[in-house]
Amino acid sequence: MNAALRSFEAQWRARPADALQPIREQAMQRFLKLGLPTSSDETWRYTDLRSLAAQSFQAAAGEIRGTLDPNAALSLVDGTQRAATMIMINGAAPADADNTRIHGFTISSIKSLSKLDHGALLRFFPPVSDADQRRWVLLNTALFDDGLYLKITERVTVPLVILHVSSGAGAQEAAHPRIIIDAAPGSSATIIEHHVTHGEFAPLSNSNTHIALGQDAQLEHYRVYATSAGATHLDALEIHQARGSQCKQFTIALGGGLVRSSLDVYLNQSGASLESHALLVGHGDRHVDCVNIVTHAAPDTRSRQTARAIAGDTSRVIFNSKVIVKAGAVHSDSQQSCRGLLLSPSAEIDTRPQLEIHADEVKCAHGATVGRLDPDMLFYLLSRGLDRETAQSLLVYAFLADVLTGMSVTSARSAIESALIGQLPDSQTLRNFK
Amino acid sequence: MLQISDLSARVAGKDILTGVNLTVQPGEVHAIMGPNGSGKSTLAQVLAGREDYEVTRGSVIFEGRDLLAMRAEERARAGLFLGFQYPVEIPGVNNVYLLKAALNAKRKAAGEPEVDAYEFLVLIRQKMKFMQMSESFLTRGVNEGFSGGEKKRNEILQMLVLEPKLAILDETDSGLDIDALKVVSMGVNSLRDPKRAVVLVTHYQRLLDYVIPDQVHVLSGGRIVKSGDKSLAHELERRGYDWVLGAQVA
Ligand SMILES: Nc1ncnc2c1ncn2[C@@H]1O[C@H](COP(=O)(O)OP(=O)(O)O)[C@@H](O)[C@H]1O
Ligand SMILES: [Mg+2]
Repeated sequence: MNAALRSFEAQWRARPADALQPIREQAMQRFLKLGLPTSSDETWRYTDLRSLAAQSFQAAAGEIRGTLDPNAALSLVDGTQRAATMIMINGAAPADADNTRIHGFTISSIKSLSKLDHGALLRFFPPVSDADQRRWVLLNTALFDDGLYLKITERVTVPLVILHVSSGAGAQEAAHPRIIIDAAPGSSATIIEHHVTHGEFAPLSNSNTHIALGQDAQLEHYRVYATSAGATHLDALEIHQARGSQCKQFTIALGGGLVRSSLDVYLNQSGASLESHALLVGHGDRHVDCVNIVTHAAPDTRSRQTARAIAGDTSRVIFNSKVIVKAGAVHSDSQQSCRGLLLSPSAEIDTRPQLEIHADEVKCAHGATVGRLDPDMLFYLLSRGLDRETAQSLLVYAFLADVLTGMSVTSARSAIESALIGQLPDSQTLRNFK
Repeated sequence: MLQISDLSARVAGKDILTGVNLTVQPGEVHAIMGPNGSGKSTLAQVLAGREDYEVTRGSVIFEGRDLLAMRAEERARAGLFLGFQYPVEIPGVNNVYLLKAALNAKRKAAGEPEVDAYEFLVLIRQKMKFMQMSESFLTRGVNEGFSGGEKKRNEILQMLVLEPKLAILDETDSGLDIDALKVVSMGVNSLRDPKRAVVLVTHYQRLLDYVIPDQVHVLSGGRIVKSGDKSLAHELERRGYDWVLGAQVA
């Protein structure tokens, strides 16, 4: 047993039992049995956790040192869009979560809900799975202290922001943020999960979000990774979709040292549709490993996965996606497309779309390309007198543009754009353009 | 303005230009004609500074400066403009941003302040009107989804905004209908003045009815094999290139 596993086990033994104990117990036993994922696990081939495994972790406290910059809290959505912001510190739900009133939402902490309606809560804890892309979710289930339960009850136009703040008191702490989003039939909302770091130490963040969309519900969901360069973030998102529901999901990696991001979508009933967009930016020596698995479990379901990866400096970006069409899921319609752009000879991008089809009459397309900046485009811009750096940045920006234009929260889009431009060479000139 | 001496260049290991000599004086319009594959576009791209074209011999002096020692962007800022035979589409980079950036790059190099946003828009609108281009151009990506004719008009529009000292227009006339050809010619003629020069690379004599050249050259096998006045273009039109090339061999 490695040091990390031992320390997680110690934390597990030290925590008092609560209403979720049987679920937690099961998850922890499974996690201890399976251990940390290694490069021999299929979805972890590109991400080496050995140095993480050698560390001992303590539970990060659900409170912050010093004061939080309110601008950071609102940096993704401006005031004119009057977004409500829920702040989660190292995964702890806000103390007043149960009393928060936001139009169109019913909000509570997960603990409160477990007291109130234990049966309802169990829906959001699917049976433990051995799937390696869900390994850290087991640990999250066992160790999350409290989390946030959001029920969307109406059609809401104003986005809701969940600001996840990672803030450690020292090195080698870990936090396990957990969010449940429960969209009632016919409801509609936009939710932005924004992950940032506060202060010098960023705990290992092992976050999990579980989304259930009721019949005909619509959700636009963002997760934006903007933690500091040294931060390790393991994030898992699971979406279950009922009949006719529509989900538009954006995964934006702009920060962090090691980012592992997984998306598991289950299109459980006919007419369910998913649009997933990933925008993965490798900068410095960042390592971003993104894995999507979309399961078409019912007829007439639709999925679109688009990823744009750029890698500069010595960064590495991985995007693997898989579509599974279950037996009987006839007329499933799926597309997977990943384009990668290498900006430096020492950077690396790996991408592989996969298909696993067990039904007839399906339409499944996939494609992946990785290349460098188009020399014809570059020469065209240079021949008009543009600086080389500006020309390159413009082309990189253009490469990412179609993911950005798909975002309907304009202030989030411009904040993301701005953060992104900040990581491109010659960002000042580029800003002047906009 | 421009002196090309014994210019030879190689692309992908293949010698394409094999000793081009050409002198262009301020105020002049030169036409370069020649069969497909004779190296016309290669010459244009080498002059504009394309790096994957390797110059193996010769020299080019532009406005008293060693052109070959300058990078593509420096050449542009010094007043050289290439109108591409196949302008590339750059989705996601707005046309107007590009034009503004190009104009500002040139002004910066000349020690002038950046162009005022409002003045710039007025300028663009005026030039677009002159080139009979639709407003939608303002919001589109560079050449994105443009027809062949629109791309060529866009090249001329860029030229008019940048006001280069030397414009090299590579087959800007091909693929244009007669109305578009007239508009493009008008654009080129509007730039003619005693301090500027134009090199027209063309396949057809048609353009030269609207933009009257001072000299016409035939490029073949990577070098200029014949030069003359505008009547040479008519003669080529009538008798074809074989006539010149045959004369060469003989
Ligand atoms: N990038 C390239 N790689 C290889 N060969 C090229 C390239 N560009 C041009 N050539 C070759 O150089 C020759 C001249 O081409 P080009 O200059 O385009 O001629 P023109 O413009 O007169 O039709 C042709 O044989 C063409 O195939
Ligand atoms: Mg040509």
